[in-house]
Amino acid sequence: MIVIDHLTKCYGSFRAVADVSLSVPKGQVLGLLGPNGAGKTTIIRVMTGYLPPTVGSASVDGFDSVTQSSEVRRRLGYLPESNPLYGEMRVIEYLHFRGRLFGLARQARDAAVERVIERCWLREMRRRQIGRLSKGYRQRVGLAAAMLHNPPVLVLDEPTSGLDPIQIRETRHLIRELAGDHTMILSSHILPEVEVTCDRIVIIARGAIRADGTVEQLRRKGGDAPRYVLEVRPGGEGPAVRQAISALPGVAAVTEAARDGWMRFEITAASGAADLRESLGALVGDRRLPCRELHRESGSLEQLFVRITSEAEAA
Amino acid sequence: MKQTLAIARRELFAYFSTAVGYVVLALFLLMSGLLFALTVLHTGVEATMRPFFDLSFFLLLFIAPAISMRLISEEMRLGTIESLMTCPVSDAQVVIGKWLGAVAFFLAMLAPTLLYPLVLEWYSSPDYGSIFAGYAGLVCIGALYLALGTLASSIWPSQVLAYLVAVFFWLLFVGLTSWLPRYLGDPWSAILFRMSIEQRYGNDFAKGVIDTSTIIYFLSGIVLFLTAAVKIVESRRWR
Repeated sequence: MIVIDHLTKCYGSFRAVADVSLSVPKGQVLGLLGPNGAGKTTIIRVMTGYLPPTVGSASVDGFDSVTQSSEVRRRLGYLPESNPLYGEMRVIEYLHFRGRLFGLARQARDAAVERVIERCWLREMRRRQIGRLSKGYRQRVGLAAAMLHNPPVLVLDEPTSGLDPIQIRETRHLIRELAGDHTMILSSHILPEVEVTCDRIVIIARGAIRADGTVEQLRRKGGDAPRYVLEVRPGGEGPAVRQAISALPGVAAVTEAARDGWMRFEITAASGAADLRESLGALVGDRRLPCRELHRESGSLEQLFVRITSEAEAA
Repeated sequence: MKQTLAIARRELFAYFSTAVGYVVLALFLLMSGLLFALTVLHTGVEATMRPFFDLSFFLLLFIAPAISMRLISEEMRLGTIESLMTCPVSDAQVVIGKWLGAVAFFLAMLAPTLLYPLVLEWYSSPDYGSIFAGYAGLVCIGALYLALGTLASSIWPSQVLAYLVAVFFWLLFVGLTSWLPRYLGDPWSAILFRMSIEQRYGNDFAKGVIDTSTIIYFLSGIVLFLTAAVKIVESRRWR
């Protein structure tokens, strides 16, 4: 549905995006993740036809974003980063205005405006001036405007920036809901955001793709090997238990902390080791130790994200 | 075409929902009302709108740029240009739509002055032919001023700058074409006088004459400025 081919974009002598290639199949929700200034917005602006690429190309549904720009724009619903709106217009006026720009005839426009007002929970605000709306409602107006012409592709640049936690939850919920029948690109510098909403994540730093995969794949890759946490009351056997754990196959390192007679072991597995929970459980059972916790922590995306972006900065 | 009109319509409504629109409107009506009362409305004076039209020419030098200054600069400042330019509309549609919106506001501003001829009618019998021509002239001048204003507004994201540059341009232009030729010999003075808005307006419209060459003069000026504005908007993407 969306193909970005060897895209490079320079602003003067500054190279914002360097040789990025990306293809998004129909129906996928792709998260563009990267620190501020990584080049996410530039990639999106080229894709939407707002900026021409310096080298390479972008296309949507087979239409080139430069030479067939108006075909591309018809197929895209775009929510720009800062969600710019005309403050003096009423919500409903603005939506009708957008409908006219997309060439919707009167009846189709009426229906479309009602549909997005319903979908973005704007019913009570329809006659309100946009300039007087809270940030959360303004964001909904921006989303409503992007969905108005029912485009097959939605491009949302930082859709939750500046919202409070409840509004963020609502917006994510809406995005998940829209995901069903749209191909979507979502950019964010907030990790949990893309983690919960996207099928696939592309991490961008310093203008280039640094990682690409599903949440699971990246998590595995993020992959410091998994860690295990075990909390038991060893009585006087503390050192012996520790030794037994260290001796288990696949254990790379063990640290412990004692409190109120309980000991908390943090066990790092060797890379490629099998799941250690079973052998840890057996160990506890054999020694009949009182146990109150045993769990595995998988390598977090956060670690991968931080590692990738700091590597990119250092390069 | 529909998209162009949608943009024009939005612009027109924007004037009526911001303070600037009303201030400009009030200022123009106050000044032109004063002009009318002080120059036309005297006993024993000919029942003609001529002094009103002559002075409106200068008044518009300052009023028109105030109408056009926000057209594109405001979009750039707010960033709304991005959501506008990612709709399926061309740069030309945006520029022409905005200019049309400004012209529509200008016409709305002129409309109340139609009362002046009615006042004249009350006391005497004015020559409607020349009044019609005078209004036609004002519309042409307004449209031309606004076209340059649109261009200025496409170059500078600051409204103040867009206003000052437009006013300065017209003062310079009027100086070069209406004042300088008096001190020059032929052929320069003749050529410059042909380019003078004041000459065109004062000798044609205000006298009740609508000349095709004058119409073409205004049209080509408008086309020139708007084309330049479209090019500027286009070029923004390549930087």
